[in-house]
Amino acid sequence: MASRSPALRRALQTASRTQSCRSFTSTSATLTQPADYPTRHQPPTRDPSRPTHFGFETVTESEKQQRVASVFTSVAESYDRMNDLMSFGWHRVWKDHFVRTLNPGFSPLSSSPSGPQHILDIAGGTGDIAFRMLHQAHVLNHNPDVRVTVSDINPSMLAVGKQRSQELPATQQAALSWLEANAEDLNSVRPLHSDPNGPTSSIPDASVDLYTVAFGIRNFSNIPAALREAHRVLKPGGIFACLEFSKADNYPLFNAVYKRWSFSAIPMIGQLVAGDRDSYQYLVESIERFPSQEDFRDMIVDAGFVVGGRGYENLTGGVAAIHRGMKPRN
Amino acid sequence: MSPTTLPASLTRTSLRRLAHSRPTTCLLRTAAHRSITTSTTTPTRPSPTLQQPLRRATRQHQTRPLHYPAHPSSPSDAPFSPPELALLRAAYAHVPQHGFSAESLALGARDIGLLDISTNLLPNGDFDLIRYHLFTQREALVEKSRGLQGSVRDRVFELTWLRLLGNREVVGRWQEALAIMAQPSYVPASLSALHELVDDIWYLAGDVSVDPSWYTKRASLSAIYVSAELFMTDDRSAGFEETKAFLRRRFDEVGELSSVLGAVREWVSFSGSSAINVLRSKGVPTENISSLSEKREVDGLG
Ligand SMILES: C[S@@+](CC[C@H](N)C(=O)[O-])C[C@H]1O[C@@H](n2cnc3c(N)ncnc32)[C@H](O)[C@@H]1O
Repeated sequence: MASRSPALRRALQTASRTQSCRSFTSTSATLTQPADYPTRHQPPTRDPSRPTHFGFETVTESEKQQRVASVFTSVAESYDRMNDLMSFGWHRVWKDHFVRTLNPGFSPLSSSPSGPQHILDIAGGTGDIAFRMLHQAHVLNHNPDVRVTVSDINPSMLAVGKQRSQELPATQQAALSWLEANAEDLNSVRPLHSDPNGPTSSIPDASVDLYTVAFGIRNFSNIPAALREAHRVLKPGGIFACLEFSKADNYPLFNAVYKRWSFSAIPMIGQLVAGDRDSYQYLVESIERFPSQEDFRDMIVDAGFVVGGRGYENLTGGVAAIHRGMKPRN
Repeated sequence: MSPTTLPASLTRTSLRRLAHSRPTTCLLRTAAHRSITTSTTTPTRPSPTLQQPLRRATRQHQTRPLHYPAHPSSPSDAPFSPPELALLRAAYAHVPQHGFSAESLALGARDIGLLDISTNLLPNGDFDLIRYHLFTQREALVEKSRGLQGSVRDRVFELTWLRLLGNREVVGRWQEALAIMAQPSYVPASLSALHELVDDIWYLAGDVSVDPSWYTKRASLSAIYVSAELFMTDDRSAGFEETKAFLRRRFDEVGELSSVLGAVREWVSFSGSSAINVLRSKGVPTENISSLSEKREVDGLG
């Protein structure tokens, strides 16, 4: 900060004064719109022309998918910086906690190994979660029999992740695979960099031990469809685990400050850092639109999962939350 | 569950328990309720079958639902969901050998056809396994309290001893458990479990008096219980006789102490109020004095 040129500092200051007010007032008017995810009262169907929301704008589902894809293409590179800005750097701590508590690769020492563990990291983007999973399983739990499939709708995010994975030990690289997949339909997926017109394959039913999605699910146009797919691909006893920005409603003052920060400052900084204000505006609004902890827990239960306790854990006063559910036997 | 718009004090668990409760197996107890129903000085011993009427809790006091199901071994109203219970019950069988640990949990998961990763169903893993132990033992105490003889004091002693014996199967693992319970994030839940246990013991022993000794009695029993539990983890004597002797000594000490304290307090409040009456009768304004003396009584309660 201190090394910043006076010109840039001045630009930042004026930008924050003008832009922050504008974006805050212009978006707060739309805060009361109904949520864009279909609830269990209206069984979701996949209809590309169905209206959904892009941030606070109403668009069709297929349009949303394209626009989400372009958001992440435009921010793939500056993406880590964005996460730092939105969470004040907390996202690293949250991800560590998420992976450590899931404890992939743990297997009772007093019993025989139970065969390979398969983790599917959905919306895995640049591999942040997948790499932590491998470290926990292979290194900390001394269990090399754990593999991770990183999947994302956006090949450019995956490409960044694959690039980053070159720095991992060879055994960990070998345990990774990269898959282009829309979380709402895991029946037509394709390996990264395969022929876009080639045949697609399917993630089989009951083939996954652990399904993770971190900071991804709020971008899906049809969350119930994604939850149903998660339920389908998980083995009985398999775990669904989601880390997502959430609502710090228990701390009204903190929440107000955080909202003000995210609605005004982040898109503005996004513009300066990445030259792409709209993408960041979208990210901020998608967080605001995401259901509350309890509502999302209920959606998970509606998809057929069982939950323990109240079904979620708040992080940093609810700025983010972890939801977990188990696919029961039968 | 439908989208919740619940008062913050109602947790999902307590709701689940409320939803499942039947008047005959459920007793809502609050401090307020006790002070209303138990102003008589002769303690009458409530029967463990709990045929007392379900009473509405007054708003300003926290409601604490407590369940005594007919079969304590199948706690259908437990603070755990059925899938959690199935996993915990299976894992608990491994505790004597593997402790309150991820190992026991994963072995339990396998026993009931689940995966190693399935233990993530539980929000707090090893601590949930400890909570399961505390919960089932607390419930078992209800059955054990039937047909106890003697004074309230004797029954409190006996119930405390019976509860300690409830740790017998896992005693070799109990120091580890205490270490887990002492982790900062688990301390509040651990303390409230202790408070609930001690409260149950006094209640099941038939002590329904609400007087200034209410808090001292609970505080001293908590202290005794915790020290005896710790003592027991190192006790190699047959049938834990030494723990029982330890417990007896602690009870005797506190007996002397609290009767002395009680007598002093009684004397202070009696002489205080009579002094005020004397002053009043002489026409001295006593507002300040009486508020002082009230304050002293409140302090004595804490
Ligand atoms: C904020 S990034 C999260 C990346 C990574 N999980 C992390 O925590 O760092 C969100 C990701 O969701 C992906 N995404 C959005 N919609 C998706 C969908 N329908 N199916 C799969 N991935 C999707 C985006 O391409 C993007 O990579």
